[in-house]
Amino acid sequence: MSTALSLHQSRKRKNGVMMALCVVAAGIGLAWLALILGALIYKGLSGVSLAVFTQMTPPPGDAGGLLNAIYGSIVMTIIGIVVGTPIGVLAGTYMAEYGRFSRLTTIVRFINDILLSAPSIIVGLFVYELLVRPMGHFSAIAGAVALSILVIPVVVRTTEDMLNLVPNALREAGTAIGAPRWVVIRSVAYRAAMSGIVTGILLAIARISGETAPLLFTALNNQFWSSNLNAPMASLPVTIFQFALSPYEEWQQLAWTGALIITLTVLGLSIIARSLTGRREDR
Amino acid sequence: MKPMLSTDLNVADTTVEKAKIEVKNLNFYYGQSKALKDINLSLPERSVTAFIGPSGCGKSTLLRVLNRIYELYPKQSAEGEVLLDGKNILDRSQDLNLLRTKIGMVFQKPTPFPMSIYENIAFGVRLYEKISKAEMDSRVESALKRAALWNEVKDKLNASGQSLSGGQQQRLCIARTVAVKPEVILLDEPASALDPLSTAKIEELIDELQADYTIVIVTHNMQQAARVSRQTAFMYLGELVEFDRTEKIFTSPREKRTQDYITGRFG
Amino acid sequence: MSAVSEAVTTSAMRTREATVRRFALTDTIFRSATRLSAILVLVLLGGVAISLFAGSWQALSKFGFSFLTTEAWNPVTENFGALAPIYGTLVTSAIAILIAVPIGIGIAVFLTELCPRPLRRPIGIAVELLAGIPSIIYGIWGLFVFAPFLQTTIQPFIIWVFKGIPGLNSLFAGPPYGIGLLTSSLILAIMVLPFITSITKDVFDTVPAVLKESAYGIGCTTWEVTRRVVIPYTRVGIMGGVMLGLGRALGETMAVTFVIGNAHRISASLFAPGTTISATIANEFTEADGELYTSSLVALGLILFIITFIILAIARYMLLRIDRRAGA
Repeated sequence: MSTALSLHQSRKRKNGVMMALCVVAAGIGLAWLALILGALIYKGLSGVSLAVFTQMTPPPGDAGGLLNAIYGSIVMTIIGIVVGTPIGVLAGTYMAEYGRFSRLTTIVRFINDILLSAPSIIVGLFVYELLVRPMGHFSAIAGAVALSILVIPVVVRTTEDMLNLVPNALREAGTAIGAPRWVVIRSVAYRAAMSGIVTGILLAIARISGETAPLLFTALNNQFWSSNLNAPMASLPVTIFQFALSPYEEWQQLAWTGALIITLTVLGLSIIARSLTGRREDR
Repeated sequence: MKPMLSTDLNVADTTVEKAKIEVKNLNFYYGQSKALKDINLSLPERSVTAFIGPSGCGKSTLLRVLNRIYELYPKQSAEGEVLLDGKNILDRSQDLNLLRTKIGMVFQKPTPFPMSIYENIAFGVRLYEKISKAEMDSRVESALKRAALWNEVKDKLNASGQSLSGGQQQRLCIARTVAVKPEVILLDEPASALDPLSTAKIEELIDELQADYTIVIVTHNMQQAARVSRQTAFMYLGELVEFDRTEKIFTSPREKRTQDYITGRFG
Repeated sequence: MSAVSEAVTTSAMRTREATVRRFALTDTIFRSATRLSAILVLVLLGGVAISLFAGSWQALSKFGFSFLTTEAWNPVTENFGALAPIYGTLVTSAIAILIAVPIGIGIAVFLTELCPRPLRRPIGIAVELLAGIPSIIYGIWGLFVFAPFLQTTIQPFIIWVFKGIPGLNSLFAGPPYGIGLLTSSLILAIMVLPFITSITKDVFDTVPAVLKESAYGIGCTTWEVTRRVVIPYTRVGIMGGVMLGLGRALGETMAVTFVIGNAHRISASLFAPGTTISATIANEFTEADGELYTSSLVALGLILFIITFIILAIARYMLLRIDRRAGA
């Protein structure tokens, strides 16, 4: 009896210790992440001013802003999304609709999942070999293509997942009324999966708006205002990279401010994306 | 409701009925397994035919052959002949979309499209007909009236089809099917997901629609089959066991298996 | 409303047939477009492999197999070897995973078993949001906040503690730079933590409630249920999550580039600066002059591609297995 009781005691103690460790793990993890966000807000906020959004990136040791970098980021992100989204949506459509039962879909799904988590710097190298080397110079176009390659797997994945959630009965109903497959997809399946697909696109924007590695040797960087897509273009992440590693205080401050802008953008997009799908689940 | 059945039968029991659909030596396969075995039957025009039988007997499968909706899925195939007005619809040359405009279908669970009530109906019409806004309005109205839904939704035609109740959604689906002017309407357990009141409305509707359409209904509810249909086919394990006037099936079936089923001994 | 008046007239029938022909054409076009896009996904991966191989051909044919085993990295004499970056990549990723996995599983257990219900969703969402923060943020924080902190407090302390212990004293040898292999590992650990946590939490959720309830029913403690039921049941899924995290850590560029120190050498000390494959490429690619230098950097990329491809393929295979079981 007493040994049974003491065994019970030791089991309870062990449980207590392990559970305490889990709480500590959660505490450490969350605190650590809070520290990062705290430092980011603290250091970044002090540099936020109108000049950040209205002036060009300064030469070393001067004050200035991030206008050309922000502009470049927006331009390349938009082109990346515009190029990548249709391809991703169409590929996801094939996988969930026409090719749902085909072998090709299984293979594409596997490869797409690998692309989804492949190192982005490799995409940069690929686009360098594909575009920059043949063209002979860095360009915003190359940067945008690199970003679009990162967009595709995200959109493919969410489109396929969301279309798979559309009940088959709805497709059958559309078909039974005499609509051809593509009309059923366009007017019924896409509509039913709309918020999910938009979520995927938002997540893709969030992903590429902070990407640095694939831009380093595709779009390169540019100290000046440039809207020429065939020339190097500044972007927020690459500018942050360059400025943070510099010895100049003004540059470092701009790097922090830029980092804050990117983080808020990404978090904002993720939250909007999340609330879109959240509403869908409630319905 | 029994009187309704008997008067129906009095009118219906004529020998020279034109067959709208004739099924001849039909076999159906899911991959290797045979789901329908040598089915032969003929569905008379402008009347209601019910398919009954225990689950898995092939009654839904048979229904899904009639508009070839099974073609959406791989590894399903049909052999034999299904003649619509004498023309074999299983033929390769048959255009499936055209076939489905002639043979409409309503499903077990209501399937309103993710669009407004108006659009749910206009969607199918617009596919094959170029008509003016005014014509479309009257088409939508008459379809909704036909499905006995007009009075309930006439003030909210722009509301989402999914905002309606289950019974209303099902009637919307019937309206949508009627709007494209089919010749045959297939109903796959149309009331099994509905409450008794909505079920009664649907049954009433089926009774009215048979004046203009050839109707085939699959149901697991024998009373429902008895109430709404003029002919009943009893199926079991992929075979057509017995096909006769509904009254005959439910009062004096020839086959022992039919007898067992309708008296509730299995199924 | 009689059937006769509703019947479709022959002329209407003819327009229907024309419409049907148009539909068949558009459907074929749309179908082909979707199929081509799906194939494009395959082409992309194939293109990556081919272009990396082509780009690295010069370096690989010059150095051959010794590229993998040489530590030297000298742009002046044009003698390049990948050993130091490979070593740095593997060591930092391994340490990061060793740190992040227990903490990640701990947080997942906390979230599924211990956390008060109202807090579960917010914390879960916070974890997932953090997984989306760009890696450059972790990098800049590591460089300006974390590295100086390590340099002035933790590192001198550890060096002092292990000074007299053979083996460990060379593993933790000074001077404390702040930046280096260990700092990179810690930053990577923080980066992959949200990933591992959210995947582990997801696979924990696939454990059927009855399974846990029956274990609790015979008097198991929370820890025993976790250790004997939940973790064994989800082992494959957790491994998949860990591999996915590992794939990310191996390929991570920006978070590491800031704090690794970019030194092409293999040191015994974890405090010493080093380099990783991705950091080397990020730091040197645009400045690389000479075909052989560029080609050597692309060859590094090819090695990274092959390593991560294998790791990710294993990860996906494992997660697929648990998906199938959850679906069945």
